[in-house]
Amino acid sequence: MTSLAVHFPALVVVNLLICSFVMPVLDRWKKNLVIPVALGSMALSFVFSIHLAVRVSVEGAFGYAMGGWVAPWGIEFVVDHFSVFMLLTLTGVGLLILVYATQDLVHELKEDVLGWYYTLYLLLMASMVGLALTNDLFNLFVFVEICAIASCAIISIKENRECIEASLKYLILSAVGSGGMLLGIAMIYMVTGHLNFTHVTEALPQAFELYPRNIMVAMALFAAGIGVKAALFPLHVWLPDAHSSAPSPSSAILSGLVIKVYAAVFIKLFLKMFPWEAYEAIPLMTIVLIMSSVGIVMGSMFAIVQEDIKKMLAYSSVAQIGYVFLGIALLSQNGTLGGILHIFNHALMKSMLFMAAGAIIYCTGVRRISDLKGIGTKMPMVMSVFSIGAFSMVGIPMTNGFISKWYLAIGALDVDKPLYVAVILLSSLLNGVYYLPIVVNAFFGEHKGNFQMSRKLPLQMAIPLIILASAIIITGIFPRLMLDLADKAVLFLLN
Amino acid sequence: MIEILSKLLHNFYYLIAIILFVIGFHTMLSHSNLIKKIMGMNIMETAIFLFFVSIGYVEGGRAPIIQPGQEHIYVNPIPSALILTGIVVAVSVTAFALSLIVKIYQHYGTVDAEEIMLIRSRET
Amino acid sequence: MDPLATFLPLWIIFFPMAMTLIIYYVEQFSEKLRNALAVLTSVITFLSVVALYPFIMGGDIIEYTLFEIIANLGISIRVDILSYCLALIASFVWMLVTIYSLDYMAHEHAVNRYYPTLIVTLGSCLGIFMAGDLFTLFVFFELMSLISYILVVHEESPEALRAGYKYLILTIIGGLALFFGIIATFELAGTVSLSVIGMVTQDTPLAMFAFLSFLIGFGMKAGMFPLHVWLPDAHPVAPSPASALLSGIMLKTGAYGMFRVIFHVFSVDLMRDTGSTTIIAALAIITILLGSAVAITQDDLKRRLAYSSIGQMGYILLGIAILNEQAMIGTIFHVFSHAIMKSTLFMVAGAIIVKTGKRSIKELSGIGREMPYTMMAFTLAALAMIGLPPFNGFLSKWTLSLGALDAGNPYFVVVLLISSLMNGVYYLPIIIAAFFGDHEKEFTVSEVPIKMLVPIGILALCTIIFGLSPVNFPYTLSRMAAMLLLQAGF
Repeated sequence: MTSLAVHFPALVVVNLLICSFVMPVLDRWKKNLVIPVALGSMALSFVFSIHLAVRVSVEGAFGYAMGGWVAPWGIEFVVDHFSVFMLLTLTGVGLLILVYATQDLVHELKEDVLGWYYTLYLLLMASMVGLALTNDLFNLFVFVEICAIASCAIISIKENRECIEASLKYLILSAVGSGGMLLGIAMIYMVTGHLNFTHVTEALPQAFELYPRNIMVAMALFAAGIGVKAALFPLHVWLPDAHSSAPSPSSAILSGLVIKVYAAVFIKLFLKMFPWEAYEAIPLMTIVLIMSSVGIVMGSMFAIVQEDIKKMLAYSSVAQIGYVFLGIALLSQNGTLGGILHIFNHALMKSMLFMAAGAIIYCTGVRRISDLKGIGTKMPMVMSVFSIGAFSMVGIPMTNGFISKWYLAIGALDVDKPLYVAVILLSSLLNGVYYLPIVVNAFFGEHKGNFQMSRKLPLQMAIPLIILASAIIITGIFPRLMLDLADKAVLFLLN
Repeated sequence: MIEILSKLLHNFYYLIAIILFVIGFHTMLSHSNLIKKIMGMNIMETAIFLFFVSIGYVEGGRAPIIQPGQEHIYVNPIPSALILTGIVVAVSVTAFALSLIVKIYQHYGTVDAEEIMLIRSRET
Repeated sequence: MDPLATFLPLWIIFFPMAMTLIIYYVEQFSEKLRNALAVLTSVITFLSVVALYPFIMGGDIIEYTLFEIIANLGISIRVDILSYCLALIASFVWMLVTIYSLDYMAHEHAVNRYYPTLIVTLGSCLGIFMAGDLFTLFVFFELMSLISYILVVHEESPEALRAGYKYLILTIIGGLALFFGIIATFELAGTVSLSVIGMVTQDTPLAMFAFLSFLIGFGMKAGMFPLHVWLPDAHPVAPSPASALLSGIMLKTGAYGMFRVIFHVFSVDLMRDTGSTTIIAALAIITILLGSAVAITQDDLKRRLAYSSIGQMGYILLGIAILNEQAMIGTIFHVFSHAIMKSTLFMVAGAIIVKTGKRSIKELSGIGREMPYTMMAFTLAALAMIGLPPFNGFLSKWTLSLGALDAGNPYFVVVLLISSLMNGVYYLPIIIAAFFGDHEKEFTVSEVPIKMLVPIGILALCTIIFGLSPVNFPYTLSRMAAMLLLQAGF
């Protein structure tokens, strides 16, 4: 057992990859095994992540050489506080979404592609977990591409027009993003001769003196590439269509996790790898700050005018990813902590909101916000859960949204930029403007017979919702669970 | 001026890579035909591959197959190996994109992005 | 510290909250049990607050931290005399209103939603008064504000929903302003605990912003001009017992917050030096005059009362702005007085609505002859509002005026007098018409049920007792609270 435990960093990815490729086989011959195996492998990865988290908190960060080939030659995984923070978020939320998906997909997808969905889902999870762990630039690129293809595919698997179109748009833009990132990697490799993060980090300060332009171009390319993939305003154009037309579990994972993973990549590259001198040469972080603040405000503005509930949630994601980048780009201890924490908090909130919206669509078929009047009396559980998510979005204390907002605001004040506190407050107000009327109308609005309950909500869909809602409250009251991890991660990143 | 020109000439791989990149990028953005967009995407990616591979090229070097007793200058093998992976990735993205375009053609009867927009705006 | 004294504040806050769940569960089966439990809860809560009396009079300040959420930020409890004053009046009025609700709500819809909401709001309201730091205060403040939304929109009529929406948006704005104030305080002082006196010592731009956002946050709740816009819409549409609480008690949470901000976050000297008191004074005067003037033009009885509340909250703000001992006594005493008077008036308005269904003042002439006891109560409270001796309203205005003169500012006294005059202009005609006016149509109403009359009667009598009685414990409490605050401030 102990010898196996050494390989957990690899197994957490490999297990998902293997199971993902087993899915079509099972789908062909042993249909009833598909769901248990998929759930089992997600749960296994979650357990591995917990084990890794415990190990990191006891031993500190450690590396793992793939296939026994040490760093300059082989691919290295590094398990540090930040990567286990991401691991726990990804596998934990991913597991819950998968549980939800087992029921929801039945009504959204054709039967013959059901098995394939799990392939794509596990592949997507594997690539995201890989992104969180990898310590190698080219490996990062490969995972980014897997992630891009898999996330486009789980949109287009629902073969209606909107999905195909949104998926193609997403694919093309994300190919541009990947291209930019690859070019950036080429630039880095050109001046340092390394691909391993640790070695690159050591070589970069010296290289920056010799070839500052190469490195600045690389930074710009990375920032643009990641910006497209993480839907940083104004590069978000693909997101609203893609996230709203996809099947609900896909929306949940795309909005909840996929865009956050790129924020994590951003953190890994820009806070860990690039030398500080480079930020004096180009005001990259200021640009990101401005982009994210505009995104926060504009995302919320767009969300206000939406009529489709999933589209509204998608625009809200544009705003929320702005929070994450705002926190990172503030470059103060508390701000970055807030940004990182918001990765986790928003993953909980947004995946829960998308799943709640999915549950409403599953039971009634209603997507228009104005048709949701009075739904609270018909589906009290779903709407209560939705309300908790909405409150957390607004940042009411005792929900986890408040905690991230607190740290972001403190972080902005720490570096003497109160303007960004105003941005956060304005956005909270706008969040209130579009979330609360839904809650209010659901519970107090007159039910005019605009929908029928055609189906009852199955347990597999209800349980993840309840777990996530309680997680929002619990991490709002006792945020220390994730805060300690995030805190250590920030110390490690900004030392 | 001459200095810059000679530098460019000396590094003409890079120059060509950049020109190709711009051509690809421009094709991708300016054409409304989806197939052409995909072509542009491919040209752009090829440009990046060319750039990456040429980083590893050493003047007069040969394939790094080491034979005992012979000393040679070798080309850096890592970029080539990486780009092999990159090509595979690019091909799969292209395949996926093309299959999506086939689906779009089935739904709309056209592969032109502007016409699709027109059809959609007429419906709503 | 006495274990009972430690335990009681916690019990006072969380007992109603726990009972809410029980009531929510019980009401599925039995309405009677639900009503009984609601009344029982409010009575026990009031008695628990009363039980705290000896400890508070002993000069204890009960304070402890329950748990920390993040470093230096957690949920904590702190009860001093000022907290106790507010908690006492809140739980007292709440108890009477709950009893009053029994008959009032009997003919209303969605009663099963009303009682749990009422009780949980009680818990969070007391939580605000007994909070040990600004963060805890903020948590309960948001809880109370959001939950009382349910009370505001209880009727679910279009205008209720519209008023509710306005209320909700302004609540969120206020909450965000408070959030900024707390963040800024935390940034400047590293703590938000109320056991620290004068957290912010330097007059920096950030401190100024913090003060302004506190002013917006709490002023919004207190109906301060120009953030009062939600109040005249939200208070009248709520069911009358809820209006009584909204106007009588919940407005005071804003004033309470201002007390805490001025004396704990900043200090009296800092407030004076930076001229912040002038800002408050200006806003207070506008609030007083505007509230009273607009009240005159209102025909809807409950709307008139709501505008009158705005005017009265201006008195409290004015006292805060003067910031000397007499003025503070007057202000704190006016919290008591206004809670009693305005709750009485709203409950009477509710009684009239129950019996006649009429809200317009024009249609109320002659009603005094049909409902003599109710209208007597109205008369007492209205006279107290105008500030005639020997009612409690007079005492608070008198003390406030003394404070204004002490501060060498006779203009404030003039404002108070003008406002009293205006109060007379809009209250007296109602009383005169009610008792001496002609019957336009024959009323066929009788006196309200005893369960509604008793709470109204008790409160109406309180207006005399606390104005006249030589052993005036609200006054004593106010004086002690003012002394404590000012001592701490200097």
